[in-house]
Amino acid sequence: MRMSNKTNTKQAASVRTPASVRNWRTALEKWKDFLFAFPALALLAVFLYYPLGNSFYISFTNWNMTRPDKKFVGIDNYTYLLGHEDFYQSLKITFTYTIMDVVLTLVIGLLLALMFNVSSRLYAFMRGIIFMPYYISMVIAAMVFIWIYNGKYGLLNRVVSLFGLDPVEWLINSQTVLPALVVVSVWKGVGFAMILFIAGLRSIPSDYYEAAAIDGANRWMLFRYITLPLLSPMTLFLVITTFISSMQVFQSIDIMTNGGPLQSTNAIVYWIYTMAFSQFRTGRASALIMIFFVIILLLTALQWLISRKKVHYEG
Amino acid sequence: MAGQRNSKAVGVIRLVLAAAVTLLILFPVYWMVVSSLKTQSEMRLAVPTLWPEGFAWENYAEAFRVIPYARYFGNTLIMSVGLIILQLNVALWAAYAFAKGRFWGKELLFLLILAALIVPDQVTFIPIYVMMSNLSWLDTFWALIVPNGASAFGIFLLRQAFKSLNNDVLEAARVDGAGRFALIYKMLLPMALPTVVTLVVLIFISSWNSYFWPLIMTNSSDMRVLTIGIAFLRDSIAGDEAMYFHIIMAASVMAILPIIIVYSLMQKHIVAAMANSTFK
Repeated sequence: MRMSNKTNTKQAASVRTPASVRNWRTALEKWKDFLFAFPALALLAVFLYYPLGNSFYISFTNWNMTRPDKKFVGIDNYTYLLGHEDFYQSLKITFTYTIMDVVLTLVIGLLLALMFNVSSRLYAFMRGIIFMPYYISMVIAAMVFIWIYNGKYGLLNRVVSLFGLDPVEWLINSQTVLPALVVVSVWKGVGFAMILFIAGLRSIPSDYYEAAAIDGANRWMLFRYITLPLLSPMTLFLVITTFISSMQVFQSIDIMTNGGPLQSTNAIVYWIYTMAFSQFRTGRASALIMIFFVIILLLTALQWLISRKKVHYEG
Repeated sequence: MAGQRNSKAVGVIRLVLAAAVTLLILFPVYWMVVSSLKTQSEMRLAVPTLWPEGFAWENYAEAFRVIPYARYFGNTLIMSVGLIILQLNVALWAAYAFAKGRFWGKELLFLLILAALIVPDQVTFIPIYVMMSNLSWLDTFWALIVPNGASAFGIFLLRQAFKSLNNDVLEAARVDGAGRFALIYKMLLPMALPTVVTLVVLIFISSWNSYFWPLIMTNSSDMRVLTIGIAFLRDSIAGDEAMYFHIIMAASVMAILPIIIVYSLMQKHIVAAMANSTFK
């Protein structure tokens, strides 16, 4: 009954509407789905793609944000940066930090995955605790670690003194400051690596291990010749994603060291920030942004190429 | 028999080690809570106490006194709720269009969305800052929310969820005359509810913790969010900062409490989403 009513009204409607309006409607119908994608596309166009192009343009100007005039200076900003020792110093700091962070996060994450890959509620609970710091704000994490690293009253120096060693000003000593920053990042990141490694471990079919065990393989051989190679896609994914996010280190530096002591933690993003908002060298900061972005693009492309190659010879 | 006893012993050793590692990782959070309940003099003892001598709850009241804590908390909440509403709806619409819709250039446009995942905030912030300044949006919630309205990750996550849903039910609803909004909000959303809830939680956590964006886009003390407020609280301390760290710790505990609660309730979903969605 209801059905027939509906078809009746539909027919009636189509009889009444002229052909031009009907065509317009079917045309609109074709576009309606697109209209639902439009807000997302428009937001990205305005707040991502346009600023990306604009940053690129600004990088060829001598613009200073506090002044209205903007002069095209060609590649001057790039030649300045590439010819300046600070640039290589900042790159070195960033890569040193990043490599320490990636290696420690992944090695500890893998060890944790092997240790915590047990199906029980207790282990699930413990995994939950280990993953939690990943979601704690870096600002708050930095605050706790500033307190732990405090030269006079910090817990770390108390522990150090138990071993008869002298107290260290962890964040003021240029030898210890980078490792001290890395520790905070590793603390936050190992849980994530662990969760992904466990997902990887669980995707390895158990009959591989059984077959190898029958052939007399010991635990180390199982790990070396089955677990590690079959985890390699996950490892690659984690290396690249951790590398990229680690290269963007900013918050912990802004809170814990302000780039110091003596510029020893002046990593790229922190340098971009101070160049743009303390020195107002907008053009030069944009050139640094573009160099930084190209590095990230290359890393992403590398990941894509390697993972594609993997798929090829496995398939 | 001996082998069984042996494997049991291994299990116990493993459990003890695992518990020790868990406690070690939990320690900084424990230390934050304990320090937040110590008095100024107890913070400066030669041998630190692992458990406070007495609970100095007044540190928490003090945190509200030294900075406009309630205001910062409110600002953070407004920003987070605003981002949840905008990002979720924009992602729902886009995920529908890319998963179930038909239009020209769909695959290509979706690539444009995915490409956004590669671009960090630091690459686009200067032009957006200028844009916000021209719109007079600096130092307002608009600048905190609108530029981050489209979450490529959220669109990707929901599109995956929508794609796995059966088309027959949708076709039936469409024949019955359901409009697209009805399809999205009355059918797709309930069917993909676990993913939607997970996305809401992840948006909440990331906006609650955000620092770089509010640091750039706001400058008056009235517009500070918690992360900025706490960072400024520490910067404002002249001289020996150990004098005030019990208050900073109290402010910090209150700032992460919503995250800890949400995380505890939603942990299973978050872990599943992380393990499944990132590696595809």
